[in-house]
Amino acid sequence: MSKIFDWQLVFTEIPALLKYLPVTLNLTVIALVIGWAVGLLIAFVKIRNIPVLRQICSLFVSIVRGTPIIVQLYLTYFGIPIALKYYNYYNGTDFNVNGVPPIIFAIVALGLNQSAFDSETIRAAIQSVEKGQVEAAKSLGMNGFQIFRRVLFPQAVTVAIPSLGNSLIGLVKGTSLAFTCSVVEITAQGKILAGSSYRYFEIYCSLALVYWVLTIFVERLFAYIEKKMSVPEQVTVLKGGAVNERN
Amino acid sequence: MSAIEIRGLSKKYGENIVLDKVNLTINKGDVVAIIGPSGTGKSTLLRSINLLEKPEEGSVIINNREISLTTKSSKEKLELRRYTEMVFQQFNLFKNRTALENVMEGLVVVKNLKKNEARELAIKHLQKVGMGDRLFHYPRHLSGGQQQRVAIARALAMDPRLLLMDEPTSALDPELVSEVLTTIRNAAKEGNTILLVTHEMNFVKNVANRILFLENGRIVADGTPKEIFDNPKNERLKEFLVKIHMLESPDFTI
Ligand SMILES: Nc1ncnc2c1ncn2[C@@H]1O[C@H](COP(=O)(O)OP(=O)(O)O)[C@@H](O)[C@H]1O
Ligand SMILES: [Mg+2]
Repeated sequence: MSKIFDWQLVFTEIPALLKYLPVTLNLTVIALVIGWAVGLLIAFVKIRNIPVLRQICSLFVSIVRGTPIIVQLYLTYFGIPIALKYYNYYNGTDFNVNGVPPIIFAIVALGLNQSAFDSETIRAAIQSVEKGQVEAAKSLGMNGFQIFRRVLFPQAVTVAIPSLGNSLIGLVKGTSLAFTCSVVEITAQGKILAGSSYRYFEIYCSLALVYWVLTIFVERLFAYIEKKMSVPEQVTVLKGGAVNERN
Repeated sequence: MSAIEIRGLSKKYGENIVLDKVNLTINKGDVVAIIGPSGTGKSTLLRSINLLEKPEEGSVIINNREISLTTKSSKEKLELRRYTEMVFQQFNLFKNRTALENVMEGLVVVKNLKKNEARELAIKHLQKVGMGDRLFHYPRHLSGGQQQRVAIARALAMDPRLLLMDEPTSALDPELVSEVLTTIRNAAKEGNTILLVTHEMNFVKNVANRILFLENGRIVADGTPKEIFDNPKNERLKEFLVKIHMLESPDFTI
């Protein structure tokens, strides 16, 4: 009788999965950048209370939060080609609807999903910085951009990092749904491998291991960043005024 | 020579007229204290000069330039803010920066000084306020009095034409008040022009050379400490001084 559970296969299949790790990482990183950038814009619109845009952003966030990510992936997968067809029709252009690489759909869906969730974190983090510090910066003569870059942003990042880290872990795992847009990343590759060897359970164990390690890495990375950015617990008094301390 | 001239400054919140066409000229090197009951617009006056509030009317002449306090131009706003610096009741240091970085911030970002120049200047000012041994302390590692001294160094490092201070010792534990008052006294001795709101009457008596009594958005009395404390003419001022025990009430004098 052949083995019921071939545990060695769990490890020997990992290299075949890892061939598609770059796709998973690409999806993650690009969606993350889109998520943070758009999330920051949404946060900005909400903080500035810009009419019309504010309502649009709220509606967008509400829809994204209120629908499953897999549905959002299907919506972009079928929605972007339709939008493109309309665009071609009204502008007389000739964009090739079938020429869009599938990964684009997944990136758009995952990125926008991420932005909706991260926008709230970013907004709360920016607003957690005391108003008094902004007044002090104004009083020094800083302009709006300088105040954001020098006072609000660095402190908001420190506050937001733990939540953004959690949300990134969600994104890493969310990329496993990209197969709905016919993207082959590690999960899709796992399915393909399992389909030919019928060793479904072993390969899903390998997949689980890969995601787990990836997640631990992200967790550690964010814990490290958090520690790096936080104000140290203790500092020492300088002896004799220690003016020549140059670093 | 006047350091700053404020003309026709008016500010209201809804129906509540907080500042009523205030005119005020402050001479260079003067230490002007504003006293008055709470809620009479002392903070609003200081904050309007620095455009942290938006007055309805008024203008300021500073450095031979007249700038409207209702200006929409962000260039003019920044210009006015660069001539004046504010020291706040709650210190408002940047929490993510060391004492040294707090003082360097404006020098590097606003005045575009080179890092090492800014650093030297910042250290000089921190030493003046007695914080030379705590350059690398973050605000959370400093007592209230120490934070306020760093905030004063941060303001003075910018070399303002006018230093605005809004109750700089009101948030401090009593035993920390005197170190900050000493710092302010030194800043005054060095010739800085200061407009200060405070309830420390003995300090005012000794350090200010001019006192304004503000009530209901108007400057009701304006004089030297002697004129204000020893020989108050205005009835409202007398009542106020009695309330704060700086003047004996006629009821008690037999
Ligand atoms: N943001 C605000 N909105 C409405 N009213 C305000 C606001 N800030 C201050 N006031 C009112 O303006 C008046 C003057 O306030 P303030 O300048 O802080 O007084 P002071 O510093 O002399 O105690 C008070 O009556 C206060 O209630
Ligand atoms: Mg006040």
